[in-house]
Order: sequence, then structure tokens, then C-alpha cells
Amino acid sequence: MTVPTGHEAPENVRLIGGEMLLWSDTSGLGGVTEWRGAALELVRRMIPENGRVLLVGPHPRALVDDVAARAADTAVLLRSYPDSCELGERHPGLTVFCGRLEALAAEPYDLVLAMDGLLRTHSAEAPAAAWIESLEALAGLVALGGRLVLGVRNDLGVDRFIEARPADRECADDQWAPHGFDPSYPSGPEALGLGLEAAGLSVQRRYAAYPDRQSPRSLLSSEALECGLPEALTFPLSARDGGRMLVADPLRLTRLVFRHRLGEALAPLWLAVATRPPRGDGPATADELPLGLIEEGPALYELAAGGIRRLPGGQVRPIPGGRVVEEILVEACAREDVVTVRALLTELADWLDAGGDASAATDSLVYDGRRFAAADQPAAPAERPDPHVVLCRILWRFAVRLLAAGHHHPWPWPLEADQLALTLCGMAGRTCEPGDLDRARKLDAELGQPAELTEHAPTYRDLICTRDRLAGQLTAALARISRLEIKLSYRERELVRAKAKLRRTQRKATAYRRTLGYRLSRRLARPRKVARRVIRLLSG
Amino acid sequence: MDESNHWYGHSRILGKYCGLSDEAPKRIQGFLQHGWNYLHGFPPNDHWTSPGYPRFIWSDVLRRRGWSMGRRGQYLIGAPWIYLLCLEPELGARPDREGTIWYPFHGWEKHSVSGDHARLADEIRNVEIGPVTVCLYWLEYANPDIRRAYQSRGFRVICHGERGSRWEGKGRDFLRKQLVELRRHRRVASNRLGSALFYGASVGCEVAVYGDPMQFDDERPEYGGTARRKRLWPELHGTHVDPELSSEVARRELGFEYQATPEELRRMFGWKRVRIQ
Repeated sequence: MTVPTGHEAPENVRLIGGEMLLWSDTSGLGGVTEWRGAALELVRRMIPENGRVLLVGPHPRALVDDVAARAADTAVLLRSYPDSCELGERHPGLTVFCGRLEALAAEPYDLVLAMDGLLRTHSAEAPAAAWIESLEALAGLVALGGRLVLGVRNDLGVDRFIEARPADRECADDQWAPHGFDPSYPSGPEALGLGLEAAGLSVQRRYAAYPDRQSPRSLLSSEALECGLPEALTFPLSARDGGRMLVADPLRLTRLVFRHRLGEALAPLWLAVATRPPRGDGPATADELPLGLIEEGPALYELAAGGIRRLPGGQVRPIPGGRVVEEILVEACAREDVVTVRALLTELADWLDAGGDASAATDSLVYDGRRFAAADQPAAPAERPDPHVVLCRILWRFAVRLLAAGHHHPWPWPLEADQLALTLCGMAGRTCEPGDLDRARKLDAELGQPAELTEHAPTYRDLICTRDRLAGQLTAALARISRLEIKLSYRERELVRAKAKLRRTQRKATAYRRTLGYRLSRRLARPRKVARRVIRLLSG
Repeated sequence: MDESNHWYGHSRILGKYCGLSDEAPKRIQGFLQHGWNYLHGFPPNDHWTSPGYPRFIWSDVLRRRGWSMGRRGQYLIGAPWIYLLCLEPELGARPDREGTIWYPFHGWEKHSVSGDHARLADEIRNVEIGPVTVCLYWLEYANPDIRRAYQSRGFRVICHGERGSRWEGKGRDFLRKQLVELRRHRRVASNRLGSALFYGASVGCEVAVYGDPMQFDDERPEYGGTARRKRLWPELHGTHVDPELSSEVARRELGFEYQATPEELRRMFGWKRVRIQ
């Protein structure tokens, strides 16, 4: 946190009331929503040519810079004074309002972006307004025919189910009025739509953002989710965040969410695009708004009516059907069905030998019973590696993920991922050496998206496993101690008995030495002993 | 616990409110906010308030701001002043209130204030119509030059005394004296917003804030300076302020709605013996 120094705020920073002097939203605390490529693309399509744009609340730096560079007139509203000064200095052409949302004078803007939501528009200087009140204040800033893009974190999002330690119950410094008790906060996508309509706006598109509320990578419109999306598309949408402690496997849970067609209701975050309809006109159209935007690694895809196309300027191609290979394998492992594993891996190896995609992985390949197809098409490595190594990499990656997720598998001996990968290669009918494995690991690193997270918080399940193991060890140790205790008492008893016996014998011996017969015999024997010694000396 | 808990007779007032004798005030297990403040109830360098002990503060905005700055264990009880008003609803009340009581911003034992008292006195003379009482802090009162600056313009100069401590009775009647003086005057004024002004507004005085706000020798930047006070309470600055509004702000800043019951205070201050199981 920065303490304001003596210097004055830049000229373009205006204090409107409720500004927080000793506060920064960029310090990592609470985590401002880290919008990336997909959101940037969406915003770019909406920036009006000669209109005014207002960013409400903290946004990632790249997004602010992009909007500032493209829009004719941009203003930003922030509650933090140090953040406002920093932004004001970085963009002298920008108007930065510093304070709370309700204190901002209602001027019309053609595009209002509040993608981080409304919670960080409240200031500690005033009691926190209810969500609906903040929304009304926000809607008041949208010009006729203008648009509002509002992010709303879902309190029942799929990412909430897997958190062992909910971030908004940690009593952090930003929770002077903790979230979760506001009855006006949207309880679902419909409630969000109703709230926006009550504020005089008309919803154009509602997007569900995945995989988590912290750094959403994909935006899927409610229209697209209603039709049901192919597995190839929904499989990569699960959270892979290694920073937080989890209670469950995010992948499995997200798969279930999509299978149950609850993709919108349980999205970690919603992004609503609404407009203030101009008087007299019919409902505003949303033709130019994409059906969905999906970010996979460095690539960005747009979901179109007939399939997906890579941006910028790619051709629409159909989304391959079939099931994700990893899921088929995991299922077979759970059933200990090595025949299926063997057959599928053999086919995979044949496909690779026949020139299959070198950058494929079990979690990005789909199989429809006859053919393998990549769900997305990431950049292939510059020169094509040996199919052996490619297979080895795919199977090693699968092994790491299988073991990390704690799935059941039929291989009975304790396995390292490396050994399992070599076994799997064997099952595919290919013999791989540890040298191949090294090269495979190198290839995996080269392709990005590593299978192994270098540092990750243990999941709740890991902790339970550890606890069970420790409990087992403790039981064993206690059993050992009790056995040793019994042994010890037995030995002690024996020792006591031996000591008593010794004492008895010693007493008997003393009594014997005191008897008349013993003493007489010692006296009589002594002169004889002396005589014997003298003779020995003289003779020697 | 801490010496500041006993300043201005605060612990004695609270003790009396709780039905205890005010001869020997008890130790309060926690830290009492001892003056109006627009940070978190305590000075920025509040490392002496050990964590684990509650911080008894006056109003909710201080709690929220304090929380955002990492302060925990805050407990709202309102200002000791409201307990004094509860104990002494009639003390010093008179129908013929007149004149202005003026509190020039004061330094304290460790920091002095720099400003021109003669110029301030002239300004007061120009604004105030009725008789003026200037109330100085004991440090300034002890300086004959400062006293003379006001006396020479015909003002009555008084002092509520030292702020006292737990062991000596010096500050025990500080707030009581202040209450009597405030109820005697029609207006209360100062060159800075401060406790005295809100105390005055809470007992029906009109409020005014004008004149050179004077500077602490090393004023902490965390407060945001005079500019911030003016931004936060623009309506309270000026020679004439809406009395209803000032009384409402005073009620909020002094935390009238957070007045605790005597039993609650006895428990919170550790004045009731708790048997540990």
C-alpha cells in the first residue's frame, strides 16, 4: 500500500468524494478480475468511433491501455487515490475520477465498462450501497443508445464448489462490508437480466465466463450454451488455478456442469452487455456481438454458427465431434479395463505414425470411434519430432494428470509418472527408453501448457490423503509403542526378580562365611598355604 | 492498559456510567479513542495499540477505514462525551445562552503548532458579534504571549485544564467543565474541525469553522490535510453553518447510535471478573 507523499495529484485526476487515500486495488489483494484476450476482443468490437467511454472500477492494465488508445474520449473511475494518480500519470489524456460510484456526476457515456463488477466501486468512506443501488447509479451513466458491459461474479459458480477456503470469507482488508449478505445481489442469470431491465437497460447478450472468476479466458453466450456445446469445446474450460486450495477436481465438476446444461447458471462469472434503448426505436440488435470467444493458450477463437474460427481472420471450421481421449482413458482405468486402454493407445500410436498432430495431447484430442481430431490447433513445433517422442510426451502428460487427479488405475505397484508413461508406451506396442522420456519432457516444455504445475497448493483431497496416511502411521507407531511397553514391563519384572535372587544368594553367602566351621577351616588352611608359598619360592 | 484511556476524565465518566466510583478509575482492557479523528480513530503510528485488545472507537466510518488499513478488533461504543451527556442531561444548561466559545487548534505535549494567534484574534473580532470566550489548551494557556493576543482584543480566555491521568485527578473534570462552557454559549467555533466543535454541536451550539487552520510541525500525510477535511465536510466550513446539519453530523461523528449499556461496557472493559473454567 502506498502512502500518499507530499506531491499533488496529476491534473487529470479529479477527487469526487469517497476517495480512499491509503488503498490500492492493484496490490493483488482480493484480485481484480484479470480480463485477457477474449474480453479485449469483445470490448474492441464495442468501442464507439467518436463516443465517450467510461471504465468503472479497476481493470487490468492491458485493457485500460487498449481502450485509451482506441476510444476518442476515455474516463476512468477508481476508488483508490494512489491507483488514480498512477493511472493519471501514465495516461495524461485520460480523465480519472477518484471516489465512489454514487458520488460521480451522471453524465452520459456511449460505452460504460464495469467488468470487475460493482463491489470495488464502494469506498470505506461511506456505507456500502446495495448492488441494485450501485447498478442504478451505473445505469444513469449510460447514454441513450449507449452500452453497458457489466461483470457479475456468481455466488454459486462452479469455482465456488471447489474452493476449500472461500476468498471472500477470509476477513481480508477489503472486506469491511463483507460480500454475501446483500439480498439485491443477482441470484442467477435471469435475476441479473431483470435487474438490468429494472435499471432501464435492455440486455443484448449475456456471457458466461470460464474457467474461474479470477482470470476468465472464455466467454460463452447464453444462446450458445442453450444449444449444448461439443465436448471438444467445453473440456478445456475447467479451472487450472494452482494458487488456491481446492476441495474437488475442478475438471470433473466442470464437465458435469456442461453435461447437465448448467453452463450459464453455474458460470463463475457473468458478463452482461446491455443497452439503453433509444426512444422510439425497436429493440437494439446485437448482431456484431460474438456468440462466444474462447482463449486457448496464445490463440483466440470465435464461436460462430457453423463452428469456430481462429482470430484474427481465420476460416470457420466445424468443431470435431467425439469424446475427449483423456476421459475415455480415465474411465477405462476406473473400470480397470486394460483392453480398452491398450486398443486406444495402439490406435493413437498408429495415428501418430501416420503423421498425426505432434502437439496433440490426451486432454485436447477427441476420438469419435474412428478418427482422432484436435479440439484446437495449437502451433506445432518448428521441426517435427520423432513419433516415438510425441507418443511418449502424450502418455507422460496423461500419466502426470492421472496421478495428480488421484484417479483410480489398474497398475498395482506404486508408480511414478515416468514409470507409468513407459508402461503405457509398452501397452501401445512401442518400446520407449528413459532417453525418449527426457526428450518428451523437453518437447512438453517447448509446447507450453506444462502438465506439471511447479508450485500448487494441496487440494483438500490431498490433505485428506495425507491425514489418512499420517493416521495410519500413527496407529502403527502407537501399536509399536504399546508392544515395546509390554516388553519393557516384562523385562523389568525379570530384572527385579533376578536382582532379588542375587540379593538372596549374597545374603546366604554372608551367613555361610560367618559360620564356625567355615572360619575354622580358613584358619587351619592358612599355615599350610604359607608353607606352600615358601617352598615354591625356594625351589623356584 | 494505556494512559490515553484516562485522559480528559474519559475512564471516570465511563466508570460512573457503569455504576463505579470515579475516585479511582479502573484499568480499561483495550484502547479508547480519545479524540475525534478522521483516520481510524487513532494516530497513524498506532503500533502501541497491541493487537488482541479491542479498540473502542466512535463511529462506523472509522471502523470501515480502519479495516481497510488492516486494523481489526474494533468495537463501536461512541464517544465518552455521549455518556457524559447521558449522566448530566442538565449540567450547566441555561436559557440565556450568548456569545461564542472559540477553540484555536492546539498542539500537544509532543508537537507544537505554528500559526499567528494575533492575526487569528483579529479575524475572530471581525466575524463574531457577541462576547467571545477563547479556550486554549493548557500548553498555549501557559504562554503569556498567546494569552495576551486574545485578551488584548477583549476576549475572555479560559482553559479546561490538563488532560490528566489515571493517578492524578487533574483531568477528571475536563469534559464536565467543557460541557458547562458549551452550554453557556450560543456558538462554538474553531479554525479546524475537532472534538470540541462536535461536542458543541451536540449540545445545541451553532458551529463555525474559519480562520488560518494552522499546521502541525510534522503533520502526517495519512490524514490528507486540510483539503481532505474540506472535501469530506464542505458544509461545516464557513462562518455560518446550518445548525440542523451540524447537529446531525455531530451525532454521526460522536456515534450517538452506538451508545452501549453499562453491563456491556463492564464486560467489554474487563471490569467484571470472569471466572475461567
